[in-house]
Amino acid sequence: MLLVEDDASIREVATLGLEQSGLRVTAVGDGREGLDRFRQGDVDLVVLDVMLPSLDGFEVCREIRRESQAPIVMLTARSELHDVVVGLELGADDYVTKPFELPELVARVKAVLRRAAPTGDGGTINVAGLEIDPDGFTARKRGEELQLTATEFRLLLELARRPKQVFTRELLLELVWNYDYLGDSRLVDAAVQRLRAKVEDDPKQPALIKTVRGVGYRFAAGT
Amino acid sequence: MTLRRRLTLVLALAVGLSGAALAAGSYFLVRHNLLSDSADSSIVQTRRNLDVAPHYRDTGKLVDAYKSRGDFFTVATLGGHTFLSSASVSLRSVPAGLRAIVDRGELGYERTTVAGDRFLVTGTPTANGTKLYFFFPENGVRHELSVLRNVLLGGVGILVLLAALAGVVLARSALRPVARASTAARSLAEGLLETRLPVEGRDEFGGWAQSFNEMAAALEAKIAALSAAQARERRFTADVAHELRTPLTALMGEASLLADQLDRMPRESRRPAELLIADVARLRRLVEDLMEISRFDAGAESVHAQEVDVAALVRATVQSRGWGDRVRLDGDGLRVTSDPRRLERIVANLVDNAFEHGGSTVSVRVGEGGIEVTDDGPGIPSEHLPHVFERFYKADVSRSGGGTGLGLAIARENALLLEARLEVASEPGAGSRFMLVLPVAEPLRNGDGDVA
Repeated sequence: MLLVEDDASIREVATLGLEQSGLRVTAVGDGREGLDRFRQGDVDLVVLDVMLPSLDGFEVCREIRRESQAPIVMLTARSELHDVVVGLELGADDYVTKPFELPELVARVKAVLRRAAPTGDGGTINVAGLEIDPDGFTARKRGEELQLTATEFRLLLELARRPKQVFTRELLLELVWNYDYLGDSRLVDAAVQRLRAKVEDDPKQPALIKTVRGVGYRFAAGT
Repeated sequence: MTLRRRLTLVLALAVGLSGAALAAGSYFLVRHNLLSDSADSSIVQTRRNLDVAPHYRDTGKLVDAYKSRGDFFTVATLGGHTFLSSASVSLRSVPAGLRAIVDRGELGYERTTVAGDRFLVTGTPTANGTKLYFFFPENGVRHELSVLRNVLLGGVGILVLLAALAGVVLARSALRPVARASTAARSLAEGLLETRLPVEGRDEFGGWAQSFNEMAAALEAKIAALSAAQARERRFTADVAHELRTPLTALMGEASLLADQLDRMPRESRRPAELLIADVARLRRLVEDLMEISRFDAGAESVHAQEVDVAALVRATVQSRGWGDRVRLDGDGLRVTSDPRRLERIVANLVDNAFEHGGSTVSVRVGEGGIEVTDDGPGIPSEHLPHVFERFYKADVSRSGGGTGLGLAIARENALLLEARLEVASEPGAGSRFMLVLPVAEPLRNGDGDVA
């Protein structure tokens, strides 16, 4: 995995912590360098600070999303609520706010990686013109493969597995993001927006992923 | 009575009184003149009558001659006989005083009323012993006087009305600056600090408006300076908290790595490492609290309301912090629309505060009105009670607990955001009770009997 963080102490201690939990970490302190390193390949996950010299975290996130569906975890300041929303809209899978506990970062990173690993449960789901293959980790719409991130794929899978069931944001946070208690519902809303942009014919008038006002979301199958 | 009404009344009274005096003066002057004119002309006529009297031997003829003049009535006496020129008058109509004057041989006059008509009666003796009395009608004069009186009375009335009207107008325009100043003062009090009075003219009100404006400007400048200073201070706090974030994140990571190694450390470095880890945690709480309170100051906090099962939230809050065996939970189901993160923060801070201030057992009760956190600690002396929600307020200066000093302040900011009230009651020696009163709390189950 790739860690892009400009503060040397945080970079080193986070690297140590992530390596102790069995991950292979490449750490750089600069946005441009981080993007270059990502483009050399062999990166399964990116942890990205927002405030970076030369190219900020949002730009790096945008560039990575342009060419890859690799999981991204943003490091943001909680006092900048705006940062969280922007990061999620740009396609980050999750975020950790500074100051954070090392185990918290490790847990978030592992949760995202777990999401990106094939589940191996259940066969292919065919619903509403979509073909979702949990083993192959692919989704097709009318035979054409959709470019989904792990988070978007999991979200689509959970919704499509039980069409017509209403999922609260809390339940989706638990199923997809592995938050057991009081996660940030904006994670769900941002991911649903991104998923709609890729799955729906008209994202502004979603036919597949419906909003249930005041409750959550549901998958509308066969309509 | 308002000042305006008093001014109006005074003006009307002054004008009315002087008008009445003037009218009465002129009335009596005119009356006097008219009456004395009438008396003079009557006496002239009487003398003229007296001049012709010697030409008539017969008193009856004389009276007939007078009658032919027509503008007065005549009563004449000679011996025991009375001669009348008209049936309207008689000797009895002649006032007794006048008869006495004539009896003394003098010419005189007196006014009298005969059958409702006013007369000036003149009387004179003649050379042959005849006594002549002439009745000059004065109804015309009297009528003129009464018309004059009515005109004057009406004039005074109109004058008083006009004066009152002028008084109202004058009083209003004179007092307009006062009314404007009181409106301006009210709007200053309501916080419209840019309120100013128009300065009109060089009179006392103009000077007053000028002073008022100077006061308002000074007030505005002072308050602007104060709030700028406060904003700077808050900005500084926010910046400090923000800048501490990065080294703190590194410290927390390092402490966490160190914590995994404690078992393998030699005894002499193990204890310092433990203390270091604990103090990093303390620093983290302080910085996070500072960051949170800065967000409230910046007005950057918003509410994400949803339906919340309060009892479940309290249970989860307590359990997730490992307080399960030290906190007693009870109460009824309560469902509200609120922000669960903020509710959790409030409950956690209240329970944390209860432990910190010596409560060995803390109980959290969910009731109809909200949430109650009670401890059995030493309680809070009453003089400190109003201040417990202030930032960094410590009831006991010598005591330095493990808390940040911001927990209750943050709880209160959160409560305000949720439109809830946070109250405290305490009995020294018996413990303290903090109550979070939620807006429009609805009970989860109906039919429990004590549902409001």
